[in-house]
Amino acid sequence: MNDLDERLTKLAARLAGAGESPPAPCPDPIGLAAIRTWTQAIGDTTPEYLDPVAGVAPPAMIQVWSMPGQGVVHGRGAADELLRLLDEEGYTGIVATDCEQSYDRPLRHGEHLSSASRFAGIAGPKRTALGEGYFVTWYQTWYDETGERVGEMLFRVLKFRPRPPAPPTGQVPHPATSRDTEFFWAGTAAGELRIQRCAGCGALRHPPGPMCPRCHSTERGYTVASGRGSVHSHVVHHHPPVPGRTPPYVVALVDLDEGVRMVGNVVGCPPEEVTVGLPVRAVFERVDDDLVLAQWTPVDALEPEPAAEEPVPPDALAIELTPTFVIAAALATRDFMPVHHDPAAARAQGGKDVFLNILTTMGLVQRYVTGLLPGAAIAGISIRLGAPAYAGDTLTLTGRRTGEHTVEVRGAVSLGDHVTATVRLAEGNR
Amino acid sequence: MTLSGRTAIAGIGATEFSKDSGRSELRLAAEACLAAIRDAGLAPADVDGLVTFTQDANAEIAVQRELGIPALRFFSRVDYGGGAACGTVAHAAMAVATGQAEVVVCYRAFNERSGQRFGQAAPAGRTGSTGLEFSWHLPYGFATPAAWVAMQARRYMHEYGATGEDFGRVAVAMRRHAATNPRAWFHGRPITLEEHQASRWIVDPLRLFDCCQESDGGVAVVVTSVERARDLPHPPAVIAAAAQGTGPDQMMMFGYYTGDVAALPAMGVVGDRLWRDSGLAPGDVQAAILYDHFTPFVMIQLEELGFCARGEARDFISDGGIEIDGRLPVNPNGGQLGEAYIHGMNGIAEGVRQIRGTAANQVPGVEHVLVTAGTGVPTSGLILSA
Repeated sequence: MNDLDERLTKLAARLAGAGESPPAPCPDPIGLAAIRTWTQAIGDTTPEYLDPVAGVAPPAMIQVWSMPGQGVVHGRGAADELLRLLDEEGYTGIVATDCEQSYDRPLRHGEHLSSASRFAGIAGPKRTALGEGYFVTWYQTWYDETGERVGEMLFRVLKFRPRPPAPPTGQVPHPATSRDTEFFWAGTAAGELRIQRCAGCGALRHPPGPMCPRCHSTERGYTVASGRGSVHSHVVHHHPPVPGRTPPYVVALVDLDEGVRMVGNVVGCPPEEVTVGLPVRAVFERVDDDLVLAQWTPVDALEPEPAAEEPVPPDALAIELTPTFVIAAALATRDFMPVHHDPAAARAQGGKDVFLNILTTMGLVQRYVTGLLPGAAIAGISIRLGAPAYAGDTLTLTGRRTGEHTVEVRGAVSLGDHVTATVRLAEGNR
Repeated sequence: MTLSGRTAIAGIGATEFSKDSGRSELRLAAEACLAAIRDAGLAPADVDGLVTFTQDANAEIAVQRELGIPALRFFSRVDYGGGAACGTVAHAAMAVATGQAEVVVCYRAFNERSGQRFGQAAPAGRTGSTGLEFSWHLPYGFATPAAWVAMQARRYMHEYGATGEDFGRVAVAMRRHAATNPRAWFHGRPITLEEHQASRWIVDPLRLFDCCQESDGGVAVVVTSVERARDLPHPPAVIAAAAQGTGPDQMMMFGYYTGDVAALPAMGVVGDRLWRDSGLAPGDVQAAILYDHFTPFVMIQLEELGFCARGEARDFISDGGIEIDGRLPVNPNGGQLGEAYIHGMNGIAEGVRQIRGTAANQVPGVEHVLVTAGTGVPTSGLILSA
């Protein structure tokens, strides 16, 4: 056991022994202004939340009431001391991974809650996609003014050592062109695979050149290839790194049906499925505004672009994650972690942009379920986070009722599942 | 009239072979040239010609200045990467045979490991007709010599049933030779076929141990007339034949678009000329220095040069055929897989040592040695005779 692990173990034992902290009052009572900001940011239109007389708070807002706010370091969290130690040791990245909330009863406008936390545990170090890190878990509990418990939450974060930023992969090199070759590249840009044809003798030639080596004519035209061919030879590139390409990838020499050969990548199938003789067809890869490459895919492969999509169920909820949405929701949930509103901070810990905070994801899961089952009373929400939901992506929520009192919810982004959730409905729901 | 028998290599010189020379490429060139001139029993003032590779960073006049050569009457460069190696000697021999120069030094020096590494992705931005050639390949990430050779290797495997283990046998033989050559980077470090098969993919079907080293260093050789060479300290390595060659529809390293991809037609052209001019046949050479930047091309060269029939190199090498006591000892110095990668010039020096009888792994009774230059590109070759 190394020194850090020993210190973490000791500290974890002390924190666990300390039990639950004394409840401390939340900054503000449950109030209409905060709820309005939240419902607008999340996009929840449930009228009961805004009823000035009989109003109740959105259950998924429970954690919002105890968030300390910008610039306030209260240091009262049961795991704060441990999180600080990890920060000092270079585990400066943080993402929430799990949140399980249960709601004992609806909360009314005007109630002033208190909250307490207790340390649950630490696991690690573990290797994760983000970097090596420790999972830290604690509980938070909310009480009303009479001291009665009104809700509880398990919260788990990954504290990780951000990977050094990957070296720039570089851009796909653009071809040099000449008066003799530019027709080819104009063709790929137009979605045509062009083969030079000698205007004198009709011979086809690739790569093209200014003089027909057979009849020495300098008069040239082209024919548009059928785009059909077969693999004459191929390689799988593993090493070294090559600008604009992610190994392993396949480069093939293709025999076109027209009788010339071309070099290109084989896409749309695993490298090990490429063999000499494999029938392929041309597809076009748009690299950027100025370059389209003719590529190859097995003739029986599905169109690689766009990727085959699962049919979207009619009750799916698609949310465009604009930067404003991500930032407004973070602030409406009183989450001022920079990674949710500052792109540079997000990139510094390995992200590609600002991303949704977990309190917003909780809110969106609640919004989805109450939209699916209007009037449903929610007793608890447990979520596990997967791929980050970055600004610029689309979050598509789908769900199905898996029991009398349970709904399973999935929220997918382009990188995969952002959230998988189980929502418990209160007894007495339909 | 041919070039055969009129000139000889009278001196060889080299720096140490390393991964980080710690000095400039020009200094490496000057050191190697001076060593070769001294080995020949000559002085820089005797030199009146310099030849190097088009790719070499050290201009002939720069080397001239460092060595204090009063005047050059012949200077020339040979293009196409490692394919230039024997071509530099061919140019020097032609210059000496025609009286254009009397003593010509051929050199190659680079920091190919600590400086610009040829094994990394080729940079875009070449211009002219060569830039256009690369443009059919670089945008697809088809950007390294290993990848360009692997494309031919795959087809060769498909046509003739050769396997990765066959390639591995070439690597094992080269490393075995290097293990007993004190000059070799891999001196004392042989490998087994199992280790070859366990080495990581570079570009499938090529593994790490199928690829030559990356090296820093310089090598030079001195070419003069046979008559003059006979008056110098070492027995001359007579240039029985020297040839350059390209194949049909030749490209820099992308000879894929017409014809047989499982062949090296440029080496066939070189071999035909070497045998014709020397009056020798494959059975007449006691050793061969075959350019071994990647193992599969050693096999195809055996076929192109007539040591065995097409597709039969795997049988030729299967039972130690290219080892020191085999039917054709290949690269007794360990080649570029084992000794060092000095763009084929260290192979020429080894050919000279085999003729002199001074090699670390001396093949007994050597009268004729065949030496080749880089393959997959326009290439060149030599036959050196005692």
